[in-house]
Amino acid sequence: MSPRRTASGGLIDRSRSIRFSFDGDFYTGHPGDTLASALLAQGVTLFGRSFKYHRPRGVLTAGVDEPNALVTVLRGDAREPNIPATMLEIYDGLTVVSQNRFPSLAFDVGAVNQLGGKILGAGFYYKTFMGPVFGPLKGTRFWMFCEHFIRRAAGLGRAGKVADPSRYERMNAFCDVLVVGSGPAGLMAAKQAASSGARVVLADLEPRLGGSANWSGESIDGTAAAEWAAATVAELKARPNVRLLPRTTVWGYYDDNTLSALERVTDHKRTARKGEPRQRHWTIRAGRVVLATGAFERPMVFPGNDRPGVMLAASAARYATEFGVLPGGKIAVFANNDGAYRSALALREAGTSIVAIVDVRAEVSTAARELATKAKAEILAGQAVVATEGGKTLSGIKVQTFDAATGVVRGDARSIDVDFLAVSGGWSPIIHLASQAGARAVWDEKAQAFMLPPATERWTGAGACAGEFSTGEALAGGAAAGSWAAGGASATDPVPEAGGAVLDIAPAPVFEIPAGGKAFVDFQHDVTADDVRLAHREGFISVEHLKRYTTLGMATDQGKTSNIPGLAIMANALGKQIPEVGTTRFRPPFAPVSVGSLAAERYGDIRPERLTPMHDWHVDNGATMYSAGLWHRPMIYARPGETVDQAYVREARTTREKAGIVDVSTLGKIAVQGPDAGDFLDRVYTNMFSTLPVGKARYGLMLREDGFAMDDGTTWRLAEDDFLMTTTTANAGKVMQHLEYLLDVVWPELRVHLTSVTDQWAGAAIGGPRAREILAACVTGTAVDNETLPFMGIVHGEIAGAPVVICRLSFSGEMAFEVYSGAGHGTHVWQALMKAGKPFGLVPYGLEALGTMRIEKGHVTGAEIDGRTTARDLHLDWILSKKKPFVGSMMMDREGMTSSDRLQLVGIIALDNRPLNGGAHIVERLDRETPRDSIGHITAACYSPVLRKHIALALVRGGKSRHGDRAYVSDPLRDRFGAVEIVSHHFYDPEGKRLHG
Amino acid sequence: MVDQLSPLEPVLHSGRHGHVANGVGVTLSETRPGSIVQLAAWPGKEKALIKSVKQLAGIALPDGAGGGIATEAASAFGIAPGRFLVIGEEEGLAAAFAAAVARDTGTVTDLSHGRTAIRIAGPKADWVLSKIFAIDFALPAFPLGSGVSTVHHDIFAQIQRTGAERFDTYVFRSFARSFWHALCRASEEVGYEVR
Repeated sequence: MSPRRTASGGLIDRSRSIRFSFDGDFYTGHPGDTLASALLAQGVTLFGRSFKYHRPRGVLTAGVDEPNALVTVLRGDAREPNIPATMLEIYDGLTVVSQNRFPSLAFDVGAVNQLGGKILGAGFYYKTFMGPVFGPLKGTRFWMFCEHFIRRAAGLGRAGKVADPSRYERMNAFCDVLVVGSGPAGLMAAKQAASSGARVVLADLEPRLGGSANWSGESIDGTAAAEWAAATVAELKARPNVRLLPRTTVWGYYDDNTLSALERVTDHKRTARKGEPRQRHWTIRAGRVVLATGAFERPMVFPGNDRPGVMLAASAARYATEFGVLPGGKIAVFANNDGAYRSALALREAGTSIVAIVDVRAEVSTAARELATKAKAEILAGQAVVATEGGKTLSGIKVQTFDAATGVVRGDARSIDVDFLAVSGGWSPIIHLASQAGARAVWDEKAQAFMLPPATERWTGAGACAGEFSTGEALAGGAAAGSWAAGGASATDPVPEAGGAVLDIAPAPVFEIPAGGKAFVDFQHDVTADDVRLAHREGFISVEHLKRYTTLGMATDQGKTSNIPGLAIMANALGKQIPEVGTTRFRPPFAPVSVGSLAAERYGDIRPERLTPMHDWHVDNGATMYSAGLWHRPMIYARPGETVDQAYVREARTTREKAGIVDVSTLGKIAVQGPDAGDFLDRVYTNMFSTLPVGKARYGLMLREDGFAMDDGTTWRLAEDDFLMTTTTANAGKVMQHLEYLLDVVWPELRVHLTSVTDQWAGAAIGGPRAREILAACVTGTAVDNETLPFMGIVHGEIAGAPVVICRLSFSGEMAFEVYSGAGHGTHVWQALMKAGKPFGLVPYGLEALGTMRIEKGHVTGAEIDGRTTARDLHLDWILSKKKPFVGSMMMDREGMTSSDRLQLVGIIALDNRPLNGGAHIVERLDRETPRDSIGHITAACYSPVLRKHIALALVRGGKSRHGDRAYVSDPLRDRFGAVEIVSHHFYDPEGKRLHG
Repeated sequence: MVDQLSPLEPVLHSGRHGHVANGVGVTLSETRPGSIVQLAAWPGKEKALIKSVKQLAGIALPDGAGGGIATEAASAFGIAPGRFLVIGEEEGLAAAFAAAVARDTGTVTDLSHGRTAIRIAGPKADWVLSKIFAIDFALPAFPLGSGVSTVHHDIFAQIQRTGAERFDTYVFRSFARSFWHALCRASEEVGYEVR
């Protein structure tokens, strides 16, 4: 029998036991237990050590607001720190270790930090490690010396270093009504909305839906509240229009009622089923939202308030009622409100004894007194707890007379022998999501709390979240909210009656008992009331500065228990009211969200792979593939023993001597169709296309509106109203967007349709002196001789039974043809070409050889059309039509665009016969020590098999005027310096004789 | 006539995969239609184009973006204002439309090789697709026959509901293999069968 487990009661399944380990020791619990409830049931009080002072810490809460009992969960080699024990469901084999202690939780050497309280106060880092340096022990140097020790001593657990093996997923959901929180208000709202036919999603971060109904001990609709909740949940579950999401934290409220939620799908299971994610991230787009998120009980700030055995009163009652765990045997309650009396009675009814209820108020209401009488508890009115006693567990408290009006403690302290203290400092509605949605919270003087702001999105609040603190109010509020959310249909069912004492929960405005000693405000970050005052004295009087200087509310719990007390102490120090001091706006996430769940299915798959129709052939035939944007393209087809350089040199040389074939399916292809297609192309290209005859292709250049070069490519006229535009691989999407913009916005009157047909076609470019013979050997249905297929001509035919379109154009400088077929026929046609080419010595070549041949030929690509070059810089002025305007024509003649000292395209030859590199500077005078006076840079470089030299294309000031000049390459980064000659960019066959065969 | 080679050929593994202990949640298949054709009308000429669809594909399309109809032999749906995707079992539909659609009505673009058609069917089809697309797949929001144009992770997709629990998805051919992998992975949880 567990020492602190009640004999009966609670919602745990006592028929089954679960075995788990904590810090290497094995414990048992029951299904329905959290780690916190299971360990408390075993009499464990010490859960962890605090962040800064290494103070022993127990459990403060029973939920997501827990700042103390944070643990690290181990799964195989993976470790996940900072999991609240209150939110961790136990399962067989669960392995958990405590945090921030060495060598053990019970004996922790870091506890010596408690002696250095004053030194480690607010601003410790600023004061110790910043500012002017005096000697060796100040400033950054000192920090670098100390960092290792501080990082080891301070902190919130240790993250794992192995890759997370878990699976995460994303899910999109759409609903008419999203209800956040499944307490009495949330259940009523969901029920009401669902009964009117609305699509409802009900999410709750707890595994068991029902919220406070599970532990309030009240009755609803004449039955126990927990039973009412279970029945209502079952009813909702049976409805096809309702989706229940337990274990799901709605953590973000974004524009237009888009909310983010994290579902912990298998965190409570020993093993996940095949394909089942660990966590699932939900993006929920809701018509309307009901926020029924409840309220957090607040702690009181008094000396020793962080000792294990001090817990929030309602949480203590919840452990007793829902989990069948008695958190203590002899209990005192410390409160500033009536609500705590109900918790006292629940604890008493579960089997503990309530020694005293210490109430800061001199006057206590009749309703509260009645509860105290039932709990057989003595009320110590007008008194306060001023100290706690004990070590790793509580052994007693000290009580003194307290004046709530002045906040002054007087008289002698009296010791009371207790092993547990239940504390209640009032309630703060959980308004985080509403605050995220955009509005400023409203201070309520009576409730001493920030209440829901006015709705800025389509949401409403219900239950304690909306200030409806009694169950009866919550049920009515939930019904009304559900009705509103479903479009205003009036409530169909009567609102059930709630039994139980109706209490005025308004607390006395007491947040702190100033009695000397460490009184904690932010438990997780070890921020004390004195730290807040110190910050005030040092000038940090804005709440935003206070937060950052003291780090109050900035731990993983985001100050759920500490924000309001901290604010109250600051207001008191400033002599202002709380609303005057203001509050910080809540930001997402409400509770920590795993990065894995945000990455979800994209983990390890940052972007999709784009494969050409011949991809598998390339791989099967020895290609080394690399990525070019999303595309995967062959780099080289290396033969055994060949280096990259040897392979591409062989491929390029063979192409120039015999024939080569390259996959050009990645080129962007846009169908430009319609009666105005020619006119449209005249406007977007610098040269004329409307005059292009059907069956011919033309090279075209596009400018941006600002006159700079944008993209180039050939466009083929397949029919009168049907053009096939090709773009560079990299710019396909950009060009498509540019053209769509022009059609949609600038010239909507043009009858032109654009369609991406990149994937419709497989493209193979076959070039070299034997290329035409190879085509002649395999193409049927058309001749390919010079008359039928002249330069820039287009013919239709078949290869091995597949229809093809062949255009004679060249990127390599050789006589070349682009053979287009349906993508599904791509491999078939490619193989037929390879077969036909075999007697002629045809080789496949990759991007390296392609790049080499284009550099030799002086063709520009994205490396030169880099957004800073004009058509004239690239010697493409021959293509700038003077007969018509085009996009960019008005801007391309601006002074700066035509200046003679612009960087212009030239060729570079290394005179020292060593490789050149893209990005290297060209200089007139070589100065290795202080490189300077760049006159340009290399854009692309290669070894030219034709010239047997290392060559490059470059953009150099003065351009053509420097042809024949000696200059130098200056590349300090790669330590490459040497003499070069500036030449024409047409290295190879400048007259184009080979092109025309 | 030469058969089209599917980009999914090496990765399409017939049989049951994932968590199938509780049955098959979705069935995934490549439908390999003979024709996928895009029709686009000039403003005001939509009805004339819809008439051509009726004549050539036997489908009486509703006017307006997203509307569509699916039959066993052919299906069509709006993919954008004035634009429709028509899918037919037989090859050559594009040529037939090109001959039938007048210059003043609109344009015809053959995408038979450019798009890969993947069918997701079964009781968990909407669940699996919801993992991938930010689209409401509930029947009232996404009625039978209707379609959407959407995107996932750089992959453009057009989706038509062709049954109460069946969706046909058209993705760019070059992305098909990546999309297939994503789809199979998303389906593991509910158990899937590849046919």
